[in-house]
Amino acid sequence: MTDNVMSFFAAWMLTHEVADEGLKAAVLRGEDGGPEGMGGGPDAFVNGLAAMVAEEKEKLKRDLEARARGEEVAIEQQTDPAFEELRFEVGELRGRLDNIEGLLETLVRKSGS
Amino acid sequence: MASRRLTIISVIARRLIAALPAAGFGLASGHVRRTAFARAWRQAFEDLGPAFIKLGQLISVRPDEFSDELVTEMRSMQDAVPAVPASVIRNVIRSEFACDPEDLWATFDDVPLASASIAQVHRATLAQAYKPVWGEELPAGTALAIKVVRPGAAEAIRADVAIARSLAERVARMRVARRFDPVALLDEFAATVDRELDLRVEGRFADRFTFDFRDDPKVVAPRIVWPRTTARVLTMEFMTGWRLSEIDVAKANGVDCYALAVHGATAFMRQVFEYGRYHADLHPANLFVTPDNTIAYLDFGIVGYLTPEERMNITQVMAALVYRDPDRALTYSAKLGVNVPPDRVEPVRAGLGELLDGTFRPDGTRDFAHFGLGFLKLLGQHGVQIPSGYGLLIKSLATVEGVARALYPEIDIVETAKPFTTRILGKAMGDPARLNERMPAAIRAALREIVA
Ligand SMILES: Nc1ncnc2c1ncn2[C@@H]1O[C@H](COP(=O)(O)OP(=O)(O)OP(=O)(O)O)[C@@H](O)[C@H]1O
Repeated sequence: MTDNVMSFFAAWMLTHEVADEGLKAAVLRGEDGGPEGMGGGPDAFVNGLAAMVAEEKEKLKRDLEARARGEEVAIEQQTDPAFEELRFEVGELRGRLDNIEGLLETLVRKSGS
Repeated sequence: MASRRLTIISVIARRLIAALPAAGFGLASGHVRRTAFARAWRQAFEDLGPAFIKLGQLISVRPDEFSDELVTEMRSMQDAVPAVPASVIRNVIRSEFACDPEDLWATFDDVPLASASIAQVHRATLAQAYKPVWGEELPAGTALAIKVVRPGAAEAIRADVAIARSLAERVARMRVARRFDPVALLDEFAATVDRELDLRVEGRFADRFTFDFRDDPKVVAPRIVWPRTTARVLTMEFMTGWRLSEIDVAKANGVDCYALAVHGATAFMRQVFEYGRYHADLHPANLFVTPDNTIAYLDFGIVGYLTPEERMNITQVMAALVYRDPDRALTYSAKLGVNVPPDRVEPVRAGLGELLDGTFRPDGTRDFAHFGLGFLKLLGQHGVQIPSGYGLLIKSLATVEGVARALYPEIDIVETAKPFTTRILGKAMGDPARLNERMPAAIRAALREIVA
């Protein structure tokens, strides 16, 4: 039984290690995916994506460490975009009304003279 | 009308005849001959005024339809027009508002700030505080720029377009032009100009732009004062700074050109890839930089719009360029309406591969213009029709690259696009619907690898 558990975890660890090595290599390739190596193709994209995910991971790690130290972590606090959009549309409507009001004043002046 | 028609014909004829010696009376080599005539066309268009200047700008973005020489020549078209006297501009304002400029603004400057083909711009100051569509209230005394459509510009342009169209119909019947349809081109042109002649359209877009970039204090656009705006008069915030065409002065004043080039290019990518609406009339006179390294976008006369689907496909094409993947470029270009006939796919694919590999300049950075314009040309050579939006976008990207490079010669615009395209495609991949569709196949593939 113990043997089984041991070999199960060993396999699990190995899989992770291999996957991790593969991913790390992709990240490296993605990071310096410079001019050399013409004809990148679909693999190049996967490498590029892996590099970006790795960046995101580092950021997450830093945030977690900061939180462990008891620091305030600025979780990106954004107002709901739907509300912002709505606020803009109301502002735009107001702009149109302002415009129509200006037009009305012009008409009044024109009819007065 | 009849006499204008004659003027147009005689100006063009005079310029073409004057070009004959340089063209070796038609006997010089192809390139020399085409260059001489292209210059003559450009000069004729400049002589003929606004409508033709705009038409030349349109030709300069269609390398698929016109020769290299003509496209290059039209790109260098000068848009310098003598200013209209202030009294004339005051009359336009009076006819739009039925009162004097002094009744509308606290001050109005008779000396024009700038004079372009369609409009003239004057300085003024705000009389009463105004809350714009987005952002802080503008206090009384805020510096303003008033853009006024030149009197008669609209009518003259429409009339010229009508004449040019009837001439084009004849040319079309003579079949001298290769494959290209001058009448369709002029109709497209008329639609663009009509939009540009109503300044309210431009104003609305400027406000929208301010909103889109609300989280980026380094990218700004003038906000519109709507009660003082009509189709022919646009009242907006005055932007302080240097035009990009005066970049040397800006440099001398300590502007960080590298940061600016990257930020400016990034801002443009955001417009294209995130919002699907973009400023399609960028040139160095329409971009300002300020002493605190802010970029101000001006003149939203020509705007490109993309549907979410087009946006995604364009992102894919860009990713293909970033990661040099010709198959991806072709697949997604097809979805954008670039239909390569089956028997042409192989040569086009080969040409595209060559272009992708040849986009590097000696310093190792990539040259988008080389790729984009080369691609349009390649498609033209194989008789593939190009949707006009596609051409406009490529031209705009090429311009952004040119502008960014004027700021900082070593910038690699394709590299700037990399994080965008990658992130957007990554996001699209995480879409549950897509995952649901693709996951079973992915797991099966993984298992197949493992048991093999
Ligand atoms: N809000 C502003 N603040 C400061 N200067 C401005 C402003 N708007 C316009 N200008 C100046 O006026 C010039 C012409 O304005 P604009 O480009 O909008 O006119 P246009 O007739 O549409 O020109 P184009 O022929 O380039 O399309 C600009 O290049 C700029 O120098």
